[in-house]
Amino acid sequence: MDETKLIELAQNGDRKALTELVKLYEQTVFNFSYKICRNKDKAEHTMQETFLSMVKHLNQFSGHSKLSTWLYRVVSNHCLMLARSEKNIGFASFEDEEAVIDEKDIADWKFSPDQITENNELKNILDEAIKKLPADYRIVFLLRDVEGLSTEETAKIVELTIPAVKSRLHRARAFLRNELNKFLSEEMN
Amino acid sequence: MSEINLNIVHPLPTCKEVMNHICDNLGEELDSPKCIEIKNHLENCDNCKHYFNSVEKTIEFYKKYNVELPKDAHDRLLDLLGLKE
Repeated sequence: MDETKLIELAQNGDRKALTELVKLYEQTVFNFSYKICRNKDKAEHTMQETFLSMVKHLNQFSGHSKLSTWLYRVVSNHCLMLARSEKNIGFASFEDEEAVIDEKDIADWKFSPDQITENNELKNILDEAIKKLPADYRIVFLLRDVEGLSTEETAKIVELTIPAVKSRLHRARAFLRNELNKFLSEEMN
Repeated sequence: MSEINLNIVHPLPTCKEVMNHICDNLGEELDSPKCIEIKNHLENCDNCKHYFNSVEKTIEFYKKYNVELPKDAHDRLLDLLGLKE
């Protein structure tokens, strides 16, 4: 059954259709939440809040946008709210634009992305690097580069202008690349 | 009669400009004169090539790092929503 039909049935109180919708998106929502929080408990909590919100507001869903886009927005807002309530200690500062590009130590990397599934050390490096990014930069990077949404879709979800999304994306890419370079550069290992 | 100079010279990009361009426009197909200069530079500069590869790899690393939803988290979710089978 297609998604539009499932949404329509769920809006009319069909619990089986609602269960199907939850099952259709729970993995995506959990994975995306984890990618932002880098913590399984927080990711589960965010996933629960997201689906509670979906159930509560499903009747307001008009079908003009994709349900996945709507879910990404709920996860992003929830994570931004969590980040604001926590003290943002340890986040990198992006005030100095010139400092973002690091022209030093440019060499090939010793790991390939395919090795990520079995390498816990690599996972820790990735977790620690992205945790240093402020939440709004992290979300823009994840939506645009990792989840593959367009700049326009990303801008709508995070309620930023397109130039603001592009600027955050630029800085997030350069920052993460520099952080990973400290550990993965051939010359340094 | 004066001649029109068709050979408009674009200043060659520096490595730093190329690296900035990579972070700005990765994944977008652009063919402005500036982008063509950047591509030419990339083909001939090992430093910038390495930089380009490392930015691409950064994105790939985060794309491939996925987590599975644990079965008990799935059960707790359905329970919370009152949809337990």
